[in-house]
Amino acid sequence: MTGTPGWLVAVAALTVGAILVRLYTVVTAPRTAKPSGRREAIERCSFAVFLGSGGHTSEALSLVSALDFNRYVPRTYIISEGDTLSMQKAVDLESAKAAEAPSTMPSSMRSDSRYTFVVIPRARRVHQTLLTTPFTAALSLIAAVWHITVGPLIAGPPVPEVLLLNGPGTCFVLCIATYLNRFLGLRSPKLIYIESFARVRHLSLSGKLLRPLVDRFIVQWPELVKDKRRDECHGWLV
Amino acid sequence: MSESSSSSSPTPGSTGTHVFVTVGSTRFDALVQTVLSEPVLDVLRKRGYRTLDIQCGNSDFDTSHLRRDADDHWQRAGDLETSIWRFKPSLKEDYERADLIISHAGSGTIIDVLRLRKPLIVIPNPTLLDNHQAELSDALAGLGHLRSSTVGDLPEAIEGLDKSTLVPFPQFDGSRFRELLDEEMGYQDHTSPGARR
Repeated sequence: MTGTPGWLVAVAALTVGAILVRLYTVVTAPRTAKPSGRREAIERCSFAVFLGSGGHTSEALSLVSALDFNRYVPRTYIISEGDTLSMQKAVDLESAKAAEAPSTMPSSMRSDSRYTFVVIPRARRVHQTLLTTPFTAALSLIAAVWHITVGPLIAGPPVPEVLLLNGPGTCFVLCIATYLNRFLGLRSPKLIYIESFARVRHLSLSGKLLRPLVDRFIVQWPELVKDKRRDECHGWLV
Repeated sequence: MSESSSSSSPTPGSTGTHVFVTVGSTRFDALVQTVLSEPVLDVLRKRGYRTLDIQCGNSDFDTSHLRRDADDHWQRAGDLETSIWRFKPSLKEDYERADLIISHAGSGTIIDVLRLRKPLIVIPNPTLLDNHQAELSDALAGLGHLRSSTVGDLPEAIEGLDKSTLVPFPQFDGSRFRELLDEEMGYQDHTSPGARR
């Protein structure tokens, strides 16, 4: 007999089966609004946001500016390679927030210098040909997996508890890396997607892509709520 | 130029005399060309406007009636003094100085202008492939926050604009997102000490 031994087939089938079952449970896990365990007012929560450049960055930073910077610590700003403008805008916001923080607070509690930047390559540049897109997308995914999955395992900074996304495409790889963590049973950030204020009747491409994957899918115009169990609208947020 | 524009700032009680036109970070040839056409210039003069600034981005337009001052800077004197330039790092001062703003339909521009409580006429760019921008300007026009028009109807839109009928746009309210995230992350009270002002 030259055929594969029966036991090997059985092991392979079991492995594939187990992976599929795991994948199924991870992807179909209930994503209803299930708040994290109760936190005291003084407890901290690590936070990350992807700044997708241009209007995406403006809206994302507008949302971030609403937060209590003494509560959401440390903060990680994830930017695309070469996007110095987004980096500058985040630094400006941090400075503005630090300036308004109550000066009575002990210096260890002050919110300044409690933020870092993570840079990942763009999944696809504007006007890039479709032919090379798989390669740049793969590089982008590797970087995302490095920061979200591998880094926290090998004593890098711990993975943030919540990740805020609002497009464009590159934020999809962050979503995939988060799912890898869930598949492996590692700690993973809660994914919150906020559709742009500019989207009134049609979702953006990133909105359509991320809608089935994120934990909270929030739009800013009520016409975009198609399925009340999944889509939420709380009015204008920016 | 800024000196000439600032000297003609509105007198108290008037509806103001300065118009600012912006096309954003790309180009919008038809808007720039139309604003420089006689029908639009006429109606602007008739409505009492005396100065016109145009941020033209990468637009192409007829410069034969204009005096070129410097690279990417054109001027025309007269009873509607016109100044055209391509880009500036921030348009905030230009918004603040204007008594009427005519703009492309970019959401960032719309929000910034409306929060400064400036009368706004938005012209969605029909040449954009993904024309979701028209959805936003139409929706906000429906709520009365701005007027939405086309390049062809711009003279009528300026003529018919009654600034007193525009509905004020709400200022930024961060509490919605803050409460939403606080609740999601398990905080029971929605006003932590650090968030209080």
